[in-house]
Amino acid sequence: MLHHCNIIVVPMSHLSLVKKLSVLQEEQRHVDEIALEFAGLVFERGSIVDISGGAASGKTSIALSLLAKLTVDGEVCGVVDSCNGFDPQSAATSGVVLENLLWIRCGGDVEKAFTAADHLVQAKGFGAIWLNLSGLPQRKLRMVPKTYWYRYRTRIKETPTLIFVTAEEPVTGSASQHAYTFSRPVRANWKGSGRFKLLRSFDIEMMSRKQFYGLPMQTTIEADYSNG
Amino acid sequence: MARLFACIISPDIKRDKASLTAVAREFSYLIKTLEDGILFDISGLERLIGDRDTIAAKIMGSLRQQNIAGSIAVAETIDSACILARQNGKTDTFHSPESFAQLPLSDLPIEQDTLNVFHDLGLRKVEDLLAIPQDELITRYGKDFRNIIDVIEEKSSSMLVPNIKDRRVNWSYDLDLPVQDFEQLIFILNHGFEKLFAAIRDVGLSTEHLDIAFTLKSQPVKCYEIKTSFPTLERAFWLKLVNLRVSLDPPEAEIVAVSVTAHFSKPRPSQRGLYSVSRPEPESLLLTVNKLKKLVGENNVGLPVMLDGRLAEPFALDPDLLPAGVESIQLEPRLPTLAFTYYRPPQHAEVVYRDGRLVFIRTRHFDGYVSEYSGVWKGNSSWWDKPWKTQEWDVEIENRGIYRLSKANKEWFLLGEYD
Repeated sequence: MLHHCNIIVVPMSHLSLVKKLSVLQEEQRHVDEIALEFAGLVFERGSIVDISGGAASGKTSIALSLLAKLTVDGEVCGVVDSCNGFDPQSAATSGVVLENLLWIRCGGDVEKAFTAADHLVQAKGFGAIWLNLSGLPQRKLRMVPKTYWYRYRTRIKETPTLIFVTAEEPVTGSASQHAYTFSRPVRANWKGSGRFKLLRSFDIEMMSRKQFYGLPMQTTIEADYSNG
Repeated sequence: MARLFACIISPDIKRDKASLTAVAREFSYLIKTLEDGILFDISGLERLIGDRDTIAAKIMGSLRQQNIAGSIAVAETIDSACILARQNGKTDTFHSPESFAQLPLSDLPIEQDTLNVFHDLGLRKVEDLLAIPQDELITRYGKDFRNIIDVIEEKSSSMLVPNIKDRRVNWSYDLDLPVQDFEQLIFILNHGFEKLFAAIRDVGLSTEHLDIAFTLKSQPVKCYEIKTSFPTLERAFWLKLVNLRVSLDPPEAEIVAVSVTAHFSKPRPSQRGLYSVSRPEPESLLLTVNKLKKLVGENNVGLPVMLDGRLAEPFALDPDLLPAGVESIQLEPRLPTLAFTYYRPPQHAEVVYRDGRLVFIRTRHFDGYVSEYSGVWKGNSSWWDKPWKTQEWDVEIENRGIYRLSKANKEWFLLGEYD
């Protein structure tokens, strides 16, 4: 019947208003992702990201970049500052909108830090929760039951919240969707001579702990002295 | 039950309107101020106070307490009450409804020409007019005269439209036995909130401010002022918030009575933008912040704010602020910038320097040679009248990190690290 009438069947996707399912899926996927293009890092919302590394490995800079990206869009984020080491001046320099950032100082108390993060997770609607465990003794962190992390993971699943954990050593185990070890392979770049030197930048390497065979990603952390 | 209205006509209305309103408030919450007095609904007071005369006497007593002169009338219709109260202009008098029939027709809202005709016909009082068949009057003076007939028959259906609106509503409860633990009071408070919020909802408003007062046994009254940044009538939310607030600063003695005042505010519009980003619900955020304050202390939760000064730490935590969710315009994506993390407390360090150069640093946790450093950087907010306070260096230690080194009183400290 169709042949007799000379009807040509055209797929709907050829029409400009109809998108292919794969395109729609791709778009949908990207809404739920937070990409830090400069570092090649992509994090899914509703998951835990574990960043570990020593001093000057860039984990704080990357955490602040993530907060800057979200708070600029009007998302509300939380910082669980376990050792009271958070520097709002660095955050402001990184572009974080401080009006959208809830700062919780836990005074070095591991239990309070974890309970505070739990309260934030339960509040729902936070764009990201940065649980900064840097500075806490590893001995104490190892005593934290792994179930905490699974509890967080279950709570934030299907929510827009990303939990970003930074510590000197990996802490979340298999509960995290992404885990990276940050390091600084070469010395920092200084400019000037004699007493009149300034720290300009340093390069960092980000090695995924979930994809063992991939090459480490690299980026540069630059100093910004524009605010004095 | 029949409606009952009271009208006070007073020459002091302009001078002492507030006192007159206060008198009306003692008896009613439906109040309308008139040019020459005040009108209020006292329906139902017969059960509480007594008959009309007793109510009027009570109102008169209140007027005298406030030193206000005025004449009072209590009647079943608004018009009757007003006409009775206005007659003769005498003050400190009560006009009973029985005297309504004796009122001169000139006190009624009748046109002067018609009044002249009535006068010529020998009609001078309300009772004279009542004796004439209604149909005759309506045929002669038109349908509008029906209103006058309704007034003289005390059947007029004028409505009292309150023009004095409350700004707050109160609920209080005296306990039979003193209660030590506030949590035992929550179910009573829940009942109170239900009543309060129903009253607020009735007038189409909301609240963002509650004042709670606990009368304590042999102690001064303990007051709590609880404010939110948004109006809400969600009872569970207010209960949780009050519980958190009271647990932060509990009463010093047993509670014997509780009083809650809710201040009115405009309801919150609930429409949100289609493309607005996800944020915690205001109720949820406020509760979370209060839970966190209970956990880590009131001054450890809030928004970071920058201070205007060249200080060692030019920032502070403002515990009174909540994240606003404001959008900012930033066209270009920023590259990661160097961030600093403070050590609390600063780490004590031993520093070896040779020929004026930093060479080696040892702390309790690590040691190493200094590969690069910059400084000395001196800082002080008031350098013009005080000596330089701080001396700082940025140092990179071999196979370690980059730190901020400080010297104070001949002692060295690592203030934090660049990360």
